[in-house]
Amino acid sequence: MNNDDLDKQLKAAQVPPLDEDYWESMPRAILARLRAGPINRPAERHWFPRLAWGGALACACLVIGFAIGHWHGQLQKNDTYALLQNEKMLREVLTLFPNRVRAIVQNEHGMQLVLSDQADVPASAPLYVHICDGKQCSSLVTFSGQELEIAGQKITVLADAQGGIILEGNQFVWSSSAQNFAQGGLKIEARRLSSITL
Amino acid sequence: MGDTDEEKVWVLQSRNGDPAAFEPLIRAHQRMIHSLTFRMTGSLADAEDLTQETFIRAYRQLDSYQGTAKFSSWLYRIAVNACLNWRQRETRREQVHKNWARASTSPQMKTKPFADNDEVSQSVQAALMKLPAKQRAAIVLTVYDGHNHAEAARMLGCSETTVSWRVFASRRKLKRILSAQGGRDE
Repeated sequence: MNNDDLDKQLKAAQVPPLDEDYWESMPRAILARLRAGPINRPAERHWFPRLAWGGALACACLVIGFAIGHWHGQLQKNDTYALLQNEKMLREVLTLFPNRVRAIVQNEHGMQLVLSDQADVPASAPLYVHICDGKQCSSLVTFSGQELEIAGQKITVLADAQGGIILEGNQFVWSSSAQNFAQGGLKIEARRLSSITL
Repeated sequence: MGDTDEEKVWVLQSRNGDPAAFEPLIRAHQRMIHSLTFRMTGSLADAEDLTQETFIRAYRQLDSYQGTAKFSSWLYRIAVNACLNWRQRETRREQVHKNWARASTSPQMKTKPFADNDEVSQSVQAALMKLPAKQRAAIVLTVYDGHNHAEAARMLGCSETTVSWRVFASRRKLKRILSAQGGRDE
């Protein structure tokens, strides 16, 4: 069978004939459905699906925005704590204010530089301290012998000859070698940033 | 056939929200659309549903009709899409298949929808129903309605090459099916 034969056979197939009454009733049935339709005008009819799609899109954007914001916030938080351990940044700050940097503090309010009025801060290895009191956390880089206001109380940070770190507050003493000294619900982490030398 | 001035007026009036002005447009094109939908579905009941659906969609989309194409072509495109998007077309196609299969063995079924003596129409429609919907549409548009492949491509929303391939594949299947049916009849 070639294409011409096939076409002849296909075209020989007739659509079943329908009587005139059928063709008379078809337009009436269609018009009845059109008139029964709730809204016929395209402009009026299309607003709802568009609004629905727009609403859905707005919701999706909000969810994505919150997700990105939350993720970015987490990232920022992690980044700032990482910033305190950034050797280059610390070197630059310490070089900019020689023997005057008492501490670089990072908490929920942002980053603060605590400077001494005079160049009386002895040069030594920087110490990294992270303190949480259950409500808020503070991270800082400081030097042995500095007395600072942390977690609502005055705390003196000391480094011993063996490389250990001691934190002394009004109501507690904490040592990196004997951490069970911590009191008052404080969670403390401290270490020497020995790789940074001035 | 290009759009007549009368047809343009009907379109304009319908677009302004007058369903009555749409009636002459339905009368002018209902047989063409019904023929297409019947070829696509193989069922008079479904063809009627899809014909009505086509005109209702057309009326509601009249604002999108720019008048650059013939109204009949625009309407035809809506009908083709309606057939391709036919809700339960796969399920119904299987059902129609079964009906046609029964028709070949049951004398009672031969009376609907074709007359007893129209076995050619019956066997051809049965063969068409064995094609996938898009291939069937390609055959209906090009063979029955005489559209060239470029026009069919515009109506189907695909490339001309795709239409050519579908027509080629459809012809191959139809030849095989109809030859097998002819062999059985003999």
